[in-house]
Amino acid sequence: MDIIEIKKLANLSRIDIKDDEVEAMARDFDSILAYVDQIKEVSSNFEEKNKTEDNYNQLFLYNVVRLDEAKNQKNSQTGDILKNAPQTEDGFIKVKQIL
Amino acid sequence: MEINLKDLTIKKAHKLLIEHEIKVKDLVDAYLLEVGKKNKELNAYLEIYNNLTEQIEKAQSLIDEGRATELTGIPMAIKDNILYKGHIASASSKILENYVATYDSFVIEKLKDEGVIFLGRTNMDEFAMGSSTETSAFGVTKNPHDTSRVPGGSSGGSASALASDMALIALGTETCGSVRQPASFCGLVGLKPSYGAVSRSGIIAMGSSLDQVGPMAKTVEDVEIIFKVISKYDPKDSTSIPEEKRDLEKKPLKKKIGIPREFLEGGGIDKAVLDNFEETCQKLKSLDYELVDISLPILKYSLAVYYIIMPAEVSSNLARYDGIRYGFSAEADNLFDVYARSRALGFGKEARRRILLGTYVLSHGYYDAYYNTALRVRKMIKDEIEKVFSMIDVFITPTVPFLPFKLGEKMGDPVSMYLCDIFSAPANLANIPAITIPSGWTKEGLPFGVQITAPFLREDILFTIGKDIESLQ
Repeated sequence: MDIIEIKKLANLSRIDIKDDEVEAMARDFDSILAYVDQIKEVSSNFEEKNKTEDNYNQLFLYNVVRLDEAKNQKNSQTGDILKNAPQTEDGFIKVKQIL
Repeated sequence: MEINLKDLTIKKAHKLLIEHEIKVKDLVDAYLLEVGKKNKELNAYLEIYNNLTEQIEKAQSLIDEGRATELTGIPMAIKDNILYKGHIASASSKILENYVATYDSFVIEKLKDEGVIFLGRTNMDEFAMGSSTETSAFGVTKNPHDTSRVPGGSSGGSASALASDMALIALGTETCGSVRQPASFCGLVGLKPSYGAVSRSGIIAMGSSLDQVGPMAKTVEDVEIIFKVISKYDPKDSTSIPEEKRDLEKKPLKKKIGIPREFLEGGGIDKAVLDNFEETCQKLKSLDYELVDISLPILKYSLAVYYIIMPAEVSSNLARYDGIRYGFSAEADNLFDVYARSRALGFGKEARRRILLGTYVLSHGYYDAYYNTALRVRKMIKDEIEKVFSMIDVFITPTVPFLPFKLGEKMGDPVSMYLCDIFSAPANLANIPAITIPSGWTKEGLPFGVQITAPFLREDILFTIGKDIESLQ
């Protein structure tokens, strides 16, 4: 794993990472990826065993959805939730200007 | 009246309480005395809750009115990632240091109904990422059996509190061994329930397809009592199992226990741990169990699969910590920098590493090679395990391949730390329950533990065989 790649991942993850940590992380990634790469040895067996079976589809996880209904009374929890927000204004959470 | 905390169990405490030998306050005070003596050194609790008087009064009145259940008035330690309304739940992370829960988790709701006393919140690896409670933003927790050693993790604070008599029972959470491994390292019983048995509502998420809350205690019976209360359907968790699907046909036990030999041989087990394991298996034969070698070669890939799926889910779950809605927020000129700086300063090293790793395995070009491949192998693991259960009741392994290690020993090498969980991973990946039971002590006073794993929703088998293993000591 090279340093440029780690920096790109840090950017995608919205985390500022210092240069010395980037280097250490690249080394950690190499050892972790070397370890997890072993799964590639067996995954080909899966294709053989499962390509004709229905359960092939079962692994592709699906979302469980429900109606988006407001069940709480209006404002019943607003105060508690706003108390945790770093910045608020007039009952809203305040964010930096984006435009 | 002097209360013998060392040998106390839920049933013994319950008897003392309902026969009015002691008051709830006496019991709580006895534990608080231990907290006063030991917590500074062990750092098991991050906080003792400030509403104990109120909780004690409520429990005592349930007892006085004859409405007590076995758990009424029983002091419990709560892991710091379980939401308890009005109290801080920080997941031992700087990013949630001052986060106050705005609602009760499902498990707290259920236990509150019983009149359980929540003593305080316990230290853990940050966001439950670790096997030693050393990645907490609030200091390491020590093992009460040897304070130069780790208590295990990530629920190390709960385990340390129990093993030092600072609580009678505790809750931990698991994504891969985080209840079982610290329970084993501290000489306790710890259960990882079937996925969907206990609601995840109000639990700070790590790996959502793997996470479960699990009880810890000194005995199997205590763990069983807690499990029965928290193991209920919850519409707020879309993966919670509806009640009607929980009643499985319960065939009589075969009294057959499988030993997955190849898996053990590849596990890098210490000699002392292996010897204790073989000895426990031998003793089980005296209780008319048949021990058979089983072949599950796929299990050796479990931890590798876990270290792809878990970071993928971590990177998604931890995206919500943005420094905007709650939690730590760093000053910056623009929105991107508020995110990037809050997350850089708020997350510890292990959390940052796992977020980046998860982002990598989910990124375009690597998604199929890592994440999709891991899902396939996970399915294979599940199928192979299911097949083998037609021949046996449970399979048995050591809980951890080695004894509690020294503080700091594995912090520099992530892969060696990850290997703590090698025997834990199959149960989480296959959604099935597993329990660790104490199985003896070294000459130096460090605990051994063995783990048994049962089919989906068959916690009852774990309790039956677990009590037999317990009786061997």
